[in-house]
Amino acid sequence: MAFNFNWSPLIADTDRVREMLTSSLNKSPKPPIIVDDILVNELNLGSTPPELEILEIGDLAEDRFRGIFKMSYTGDAYLTLKTRVQANPLNTYLSTKPAFARPEPVAASSGLTIPLQITLSDIRLSGFVILVFSKTKGITLVFRNDPLESLKVSSTFDSIPFVRDYLQRTIENQLRILFMEDLPAIIHRLSLRMFNPEYQTAEAQEPRIDDTEQRARVPVDPFASPSQQAADGFPLSGNDDFNLNTPNDMYASFSQKNMLRLAALNESQRTLSLFTPSIRDAVYRAWASAADRDLATGTSTPVHRPTTLSRIQSTLGSQSGWSSAASQTSDASSHPTRPTLASLQSNPSVYSLSTNASRPRGQRKKKHRVVNLRKNKDGERDVGSDMASLSSGYTESASRSASGSAGPSISVTEPSSPPISRGREGEISTPPRSPRKKVGFQQDNTVGGDREATIRGRPPLTPHTRHNWQDEDTEKTPRASMILPDKPADEQPRPQRQELPRMHTLPSRPTLQPHPQARPSSSVRQEKGHVSRSSSEVSLRNLAPAAFNSDPGSSGGILEQAWMMKMANEIAKRVADEKTRQNVWSPEGEGEAPPAYVS
Amino acid sequence: MLEFMDYVQAAFHAQSRWNVDNSYASLTTTAYNLLDFQIPQGLQLHVSSLSSPNFATSYTLGSRGVVDGSLSFLYSSLGLTVPSQSSDVRLGSLVRGYRHIKELQKPDELYLNEIWHAGRRVDRKDALLYGRLYLPTSTLEAMYLRRISPTRLLRLNCVSDDELPNGGSILALLRNDYAKYSTEYLYSTDSALLGIRGLYNFGYDPRNPEQQPSTRPPAHPWDHQNGRLSAGAEVYFSPMNKSGGVSCGLRFATLPIHSGFPYTMTLTVNPLMGNLSGTYSVKAGRDLSLSSRFDFNVYSYESDVVVGMELWQRKRQSPDTVWAHKLIRPDWQKPDEDVNGVLKARMDNNGKVGLLWECRAKELLVSLGAAFDMKKRDKMLGSVGLEVSYST
Repeated sequence: MAFNFNWSPLIADTDRVREMLTSSLNKSPKPPIIVDDILVNELNLGSTPPELEILEIGDLAEDRFRGIFKMSYTGDAYLTLKTRVQANPLNTYLSTKPAFARPEPVAASSGLTIPLQITLSDIRLSGFVILVFSKTKGITLVFRNDPLESLKVSSTFDSIPFVRDYLQRTIENQLRILFMEDLPAIIHRLSLRMFNPEYQTAEAQEPRIDDTEQRARVPVDPFASPSQQAADGFPLSGNDDFNLNTPNDMYASFSQKNMLRLAALNESQRTLSLFTPSIRDAVYRAWASAADRDLATGTSTPVHRPTTLSRIQSTLGSQSGWSSAASQTSDASSHPTRPTLASLQSNPSVYSLSTNASRPRGQRKKKHRVVNLRKNKDGERDVGSDMASLSSGYTESASRSASGSAGPSISVTEPSSPPISRGREGEISTPPRSPRKKVGFQQDNTVGGDREATIRGRPPLTPHTRHNWQDEDTEKTPRASMILPDKPADEQPRPQRQELPRMHTLPSRPTLQPHPQARPSSSVRQEKGHVSRSSSEVSLRNLAPAAFNSDPGSSGGILEQAWMMKMANEIAKRVADEKTRQNVWSPEGEGEAPPAYVS
Repeated sequence: MLEFMDYVQAAFHAQSRWNVDNSYASLTTTAYNLLDFQIPQGLQLHVSSLSSPNFATSYTLGSRGVVDGSLSFLYSSLGLTVPSQSSDVRLGSLVRGYRHIKELQKPDELYLNEIWHAGRRVDRKDALLYGRLYLPTSTLEAMYLRRISPTRLLRLNCVSDDELPNGGSILALLRNDYAKYSTEYLYSTDSALLGIRGLYNFGYDPRNPEQQPSTRPPAHPWDHQNGRLSAGAEVYFSPMNKSGGVSCGLRFATLPIHSGFPYTMTLTVNPLMGNLSGTYSVKAGRDLSLSSRFDFNVYSYESDVVVGMELWQRKRQSPDTVWAHKLIRPDWQKPDEDVNGVLKARMDNNGKVGLLWECRAKELLVSLGAAFDMKKRDKMLGSVGLEVSYST
């Protein structure tokens, strides 16, 4: 198991942290000397990461983690606060007194408010951190002792020694409270927002105007929103995709094996059969989870989805090699900028993450994802805006890291959606930029076609089973048949897009729909969405636990993003290789029939 | 609108011949009444009674989200003979508006207060005791007023509350009024705040028998001979937290002899904090007063403007006596007839508007107020309040 501790993405997403700090500082009743809101003006986490030493790992699983770290920080982070203070001591004194026994001066208490800017720098921290991570409950981070060692406070009143000392003293005390009480709450809320879609909706409701402008221009890093797109490996291509959760939910929560056992148990009471299933399996939770693990290795494949499952298995087989390669490369490339735990002097034993550990969790993963998507059912648009807001402060580092290794993927993805992308914006055709867009993580909420490109960019990841190609074709078919190459995809009415693939694809994929009568009429895309998701989801998702478990500091989501980014680059390289080898897709396909129909 | 207990307390001051205006603390009373009037919040009901000239009770029931209330009792050793029924109380003495400065009176001689009976002196110094218990917060307020001498008044204000440091605080205030000048010494147990306030009146000194107040009619409406200029200062110091405050001020107010429209100007300066505050209040008509205040801070360049007005609604004269009023000579000093209601309004440069309508409705005194914030488009109405008082 390896812990990849990535510091630079943590630096990038400070906008949200700033907002949360601001609201946290203004939440509690302020002392009367502060007459205005406290505004977090500047927050820079610096380039030096804190040093972490693993002391104890109490619980370790894919979706939960509990451990104790020793943290010491001597970095160059700084924080600038702005507020206005009341300079008249009599004014603040009187404001706390009961009106009845107040001296009521005529003008001696008249106020003088002074803008105050405080910069906190040279923060030295050292302490024991208890980190508890649970996928559903977010991250709980508690300092066991007071971590603040020293800190330098510089303010507008540095020339007045009395005020300076007072500020230094007060702020140190406040920071101690912040570290011990407020920071855990902030981190908890941040993590909830990242992992739990219920908390994301509120922010998704308010896309900022400048954000929308930026979104139209700048390709946004996809990994800023891990839980939405990359982590779930589920390209958000249409609203109707969400309906597919229902069957998934069924066989994710009620496993076949458990059902069988329950049925056996039930029947054993009805009949006089001497066979009694052992009660232990039904009672002890530990046993149940062990059984769950057994189940995932293939003992109970849900009967109604044989093709999907088999493809998962085959995908896993090839993924294991990939993921390890990806983790190695990410480790190697991140040495200069991202010190892992191994690069610190804490001398931990570096465990390599085994995909075996995460493979059996495929079932469970799906369960989480199901919850996730259902919450976002009401609007894909919201999801998109949320992703953009997530990554708004993140584009700089994202573009840096993405452009470095994404070159090979140009040739892969460019042909997949040439009409749409060219008709929409000219910049897409420029090669150095397109990879980020074409790899499939381009965030653009106005163009639906781009999301569809994300689907098409993925399939080469999986071994080229026949179904997989068919899936891609269902996506492509509507556009080819409509012959609206220059029109942005989002202008096409949605019902039309949903009808067309259905007509074309239903005959070609009968095996994929075991219960066609139970599906709504627009279920084709769900089906397709599921297939493509299951292929890519496994590939990316298998690696996610590593990021979660190795999460030492503040936010597993950010780490996960870094992981995903590395993975995506690696995948893109793979895809490029495959493409050059097979040359399956060629840019001529505007009016031509997609491969599935040719074959 | 003054609460009933404050009304009784004011009656005590008046009856014991204490000039509340001759103090630095009341330098800006007029502007305060016109610009900083209290707007009731929520619903409040007062039931009060001056059951005997010496004893008053008042009950308050309020609802600002939660229901709260208070019980208050007052004892005065000086029999107070003021109208107490809410239908009789002069609205002008309950609603404080433009404050007319009276001509200074010479303080009473000591011997005038002496009452001898059978060779023994039996007079007692006037005192007032007041207590108020707030529920459900269990805050207790107590006040003790004592006229130590004709020129001296002692006031003790005590508050007992769990939430206060040390469980409460006491403010002691000693006032000396020598007509020509007045001094105040105060001490607060809270962080041991000490304070001194002083006011000096230029011009006429009532203690000097040769000097008489100017009686000649003003030569023109702007003749300042009929006004009084006062200067004062205050100093506060708290030895415990080594902080303090200073301010000084000037006031010019016209006296009743002034034939033009009455006006009051004040200028207060806080030299430590660089705060300048000027007010100009004018009684533009019989029923209208206007006031404005300009605040400026020379250090932070922050400024503030507030304007306010006060409009009195007179009782319509009954048609039966209109002919008689017409025959009265114009310069005849009519006894101040009562008014029906008062409208107060203020507005500042931050778009904050306050409105207050106080009137007598049947046997009740009603005070209805609202605060608006014009800057907030979505939530303009800040607070609304209704206060109903009944007293016997």
